[in-house]
Amino acid sequence: MLAYIIRRIVQSALVLLVVGLTAFSMFRFVGDPIDNMLGQERTAADIERLREQLGLDQSFPVQYFKFLQEAAQGNFGMSYRQGRPVAEILMERAPATLELAAVSGALAIIFGIAFGVFTAIRRNGFLANFIMSASLVGVSLPTFLIGILLIYIFSVELGWLPSFGRGDTVQIGGWSTGLLTATGLKALILPSITLGLYQMTLIMRLVRSEMLEVLRQDYIRFARARGLHDRAINFRHALKNTMVPVITVIGLQLGAIIAFAIITETVFQWPGVGLLFINAVQFVDIPVMAAYLMLISVMFVGINLIVDILYFFIDPRLRVDRAGGH
Amino acid sequence: MLRKLSYAALIAAFAPAAYAEEFTWAVTTDPQTMDPHAVNSAPVLGFLNNVYEGLVRRGQDMAIEPALATSWELIGAGEGWRFNLREGVTFQDGAAFTAQDVLFSYERAASEEADTSSWFSPVSEVVVVDDFTVDIMTTSPNPIFPDSIANWMIMDSGWAEANDAVRPNPDGNYATLNTNGTGAFSITNREPGLRTVLEPHADWWGEAAHNITRAELTPIQNPATALAALLSGDVDFINPVPVQDVARLKNHANVKVIQGIEARVIMLGFPHEAEALKYSAETTQANPFADPRVRRAVAHAINVPAILQTTMRGTAEAVNQLVSPAMRGYSDTLGGEAVFDQAAARGLLAEAGYADGFSFGLKCPNDRYLNDEAVCQAITAMLAQVGMRATLDAMPVQNYWPELRADNYDMYLLGWSPGTFDAEHPIRFLASTPNEEKRLGSWNFGGYSNARVDELLPIIQSEVDDLKRQAMLDEVAQILQDETAYVPLYVQPLVWGARANIDLVQRPDNFFILRWVTVN
Amino acid sequence: MTDMPLKPAQQSRLRIFLDSDIFYMFKKSPVAILSTIVVAILVLSAVFAPLIAPTNPFDPASLNLMNGFTGPMTPNAFTGDSFLLGTDDQGRDVFSTILYGMRVSLFVGVAAVLFAMVLGITLGLISGYVGGWTETIIMRTADVQLTFPSILVAMLIFGVAKGFTPVEYRDQMAIWVLILAIGLSDWVQFARVVRGATLVEKRKEYVEAARLIGRTPFAIMLRHILPNVLSPVLVIATISLALAIIAEATLSFLGVGAPATQPSLGTLIRIGQGFLFSGEWWILLFPAVTLLVLALSVNLLGDWLRDALNPRLR
Repeated sequence: MLAYIIRRIVQSALVLLVVGLTAFSMFRFVGDPIDNMLGQERTAADIERLREQLGLDQSFPVQYFKFLQEAAQGNFGMSYRQGRPVAEILMERAPATLELAAVSGALAIIFGIAFGVFTAIRRNGFLANFIMSASLVGVSLPTFLIGILLIYIFSVELGWLPSFGRGDTVQIGGWSTGLLTATGLKALILPSITLGLYQMTLIMRLVRSEMLEVLRQDYIRFARARGLHDRAINFRHALKNTMVPVITVIGLQLGAIIAFAIITETVFQWPGVGLLFINAVQFVDIPVMAAYLMLISVMFVGINLIVDILYFFIDPRLRVDRAGGH
Repeated sequence: MLRKLSYAALIAAFAPAAYAEEFTWAVTTDPQTMDPHAVNSAPVLGFLNNVYEGLVRRGQDMAIEPALATSWELIGAGEGWRFNLREGVTFQDGAAFTAQDVLFSYERAASEEADTSSWFSPVSEVVVVDDFTVDIMTTSPNPIFPDSIANWMIMDSGWAEANDAVRPNPDGNYATLNTNGTGAFSITNREPGLRTVLEPHADWWGEAAHNITRAELTPIQNPATALAALLSGDVDFINPVPVQDVARLKNHANVKVIQGIEARVIMLGFPHEAEALKYSAETTQANPFADPRVRRAVAHAINVPAILQTTMRGTAEAVNQLVSPAMRGYSDTLGGEAVFDQAAARGLLAEAGYADGFSFGLKCPNDRYLNDEAVCQAITAMLAQVGMRATLDAMPVQNYWPELRADNYDMYLLGWSPGTFDAEHPIRFLASTPNEEKRLGSWNFGGYSNARVDELLPIIQSEVDDLKRQAMLDEVAQILQDETAYVPLYVQPLVWGARANIDLVQRPDNFFILRWVTVN
Repeated sequence: MTDMPLKPAQQSRLRIFLDSDIFYMFKKSPVAILSTIVVAILVLSAVFAPLIAPTNPFDPASLNLMNGFTGPMTPNAFTGDSFLLGTDDQGRDVFSTILYGMRVSLFVGVAAVLFAMVLGITLGLISGYVGGWTETIIMRTADVQLTFPSILVAMLIFGVAKGFTPVEYRDQMAIWVLILAIGLSDWVQFARVVRGATLVEKRKEYVEAARLIGRTPFAIMLRHILPNVLSPVLVIATISLALAIIAEATLSFLGVGAPATQPSLGTLIRIGQGFLFSGEWWILLFPAVTLLVLALSVNLLGDWLRDALNPRLR
């Protein structure tokens, strides 16, 4: 078993190297950072000098190697745009993204399971069918449009909720939280709905189909025959059995939430790492882009590793054939 | 007026803290540094004008007025300029302002590490005469020197030395995040990309015309979000307002639009030097744009009034030269400009041997100028109607400049805003034969070259007599028009949006000056 | 071979289909019928856009900027021209741009799904059949791919592709990059399903028999294993199509979508959202509704297919 875990860790490390290489090779094509660092009266000599100073004149392998060397020691360099250590900037921005992701994830899970159970039990009811159709409308429009429409309705027309930003935040240690202030909580509503809508639909549909399947199985029929209440059947037995695939999907969707946060954060000017990344792309802030992509891939690979190892403990038979999404 | 003022002062004196006038404003991009010498770009300099000050500054009408210098005069026949400094000025950390700070700021801003060094290329030496007198010597007579240093901001030498920020650093140093100027506002909190908080500098030497007690700058990237923030009252001011929303906002009770004309001229540029087109399907052996008749055909083919009316919604103004009418040295003697005339365009093309037209590639930024991509799309359609079939390649600005530098274009869109507010500026950067050593033509991507223009530029730069100078500027403008070196299209509009209770002043350089803001 | 012996076989195949459970269920489901009709209409009008559309919005020479921002069915104040669904900022007829835009969106969507399908099925078959290190590498890559979201993949590919595409092909590059990027982020599900089925089938006796009579592994895989996984593949493909169309729209918001001169539905929505506050609602509304209806009907169809093809749920 130890051998299996070690093998998986080595594989993960390899994956990280490859992701890093791909990401890093991309930066040469994103644009030239120099133009954003110098004004309109710069000369070609100024450009060359700055390029040399930033090490951009070196060959690609040298740049990549240096980056890896520094990154391995936790040093992601200085942001071209902000002139501050990248690690510091990421630490500053991470709480916003993580809180947004956590809240939208929670919303997606709670409403997803509730609606899923409901639509499974009332399979042919009007309301159930309505929820099923409405949820499809939500995933048939691009996220950015949903965000803008929500802003238009709830901030501009109704004036109920803020149109952008995080509201007031409270600093607890190194963590800035918006969960403890009224404005912070209000500011969370629209972005987390925008971000969580897709995952909610996904979970809802998964729960529904798993429930339907389980409800048809023999032991549920026996339970019913034994005279157990519907409620007990639905929740004690059926729902419990749908949880394994649901948890798998939630694990896999965590990455998607963080990634799609890029769009939600751009629309709502949410000061998280996604917005930071988009800004970095815009200004060719290579150290920030590199650090963000490495961070994200470490996270994704880490989630994968943990899920795999968990499976190993829960059920060794699943080790080979891990259940997929959808 | 006076009564009103004292009434306001009375209210201010008795107002409890709860009546604090807070002001929040949103811009598209956060100023990337707080160092006034590190990046010579409008967002940075515009913002820092609220915190730092120069020897001179620009007033509401863009005229030069005293700031840290109370007066200045030419030395002798033009060997340099003498600046008499203001006494009793303190920096925001309490240190006193003296001539030493001016010398230090010169050395800092003119250093190799600084992006502002080109301002000082005419300067030979800076001499501290006494604590409040400084002589800036120039290599040749320089009549517009005071105009050219309005954005040269003075930093406290002691503060910079104590914090190890004697030179700007692209990798960042103390001055990247912290400020210590003499300006009307000091920065109390700076979170890059998120918010920057300013509060009035209590010991400022000037008379405060504003009533702000706390101001916050916040970047909002998506234009629709920024507009929503203004409409919902989450911010008090946004810049820019998308031009398509102007009409609607004007009818909105709680919001107003402040409109003006910016200094930036939008134009089309050509590959004058190229042997052949790069993106043509059939014209791979020749460069039609080397022929002035083809360039003039382009000018004839573009229906600028239609662009102004539809794409720019009547907010912009047409222009026939590289500077807007508000600039010093604008030429009003120009004759024979190409107006929209498709028949004339076809005729010129036929004359040049391209009766059947040709295909080529048009490069365009899509996030640099107001509606840039839409304007390029419209131009593509207009040129196609006379047979010039452009393939439009619109890209973000971070990819755009490298492409232009690598000569990857057959035609390109460029906006130019003269930092000196003088017609000499675009001649130096856009019309001079490129010369790295003399810092000439550094944005003349196409390598346009005209011996007479090159000959006139140094004379213009040192001519003290305004009439003679204007005559030469007129001559250059006429040459550039006759040869259609560029096709000037329009002057970009300034469109600001504010809540109805905000009074402010819009300056044509798009700088937002906080000390002219009143919250009612 | 003549036609004669084939005909009855074809007829009987049609007969089999018409008598099948699937068709029976289809007839009984109004949702399925309706969404099939809608999808068919939209696909046909996209395919035949040049015949249906009153103008060709991709031809810049035909545009008149003065027609810009004309409201639906109201004559333009300057030119007097009238348009069914109005015009956009360039004076393009919105109805025509939607038809042409849907063409781009559908092309990108279908091509991306096909690409994902071919890639996924191939890798799934190989990893299931060959096993060992090959399988480990493929499935590990799949794991990473599954967590690595499509928009990041697309931005990465877009950046790299821009560097490798010769300058003269860059304007066509966007579409192919979109296909590649969306396809790459979608292949995993196909691969997993196919690999699972392959693992099961591989051990069956007939495969062993086929091998004994000297058929190549590739032929065995194609002939025997593929038909067994066709129905889940079909379901995944349908749902992926809707996702791909939406993904394309999302990418255009990030500036890596179809160019504005040859817009997709997503590009049209990105352009249109700039006019949400200014009162020109038709520039946003009509493309958005079209995208919604298209994605919704494909989704509903995929939903129905999944339920219909999953015998356990009946």
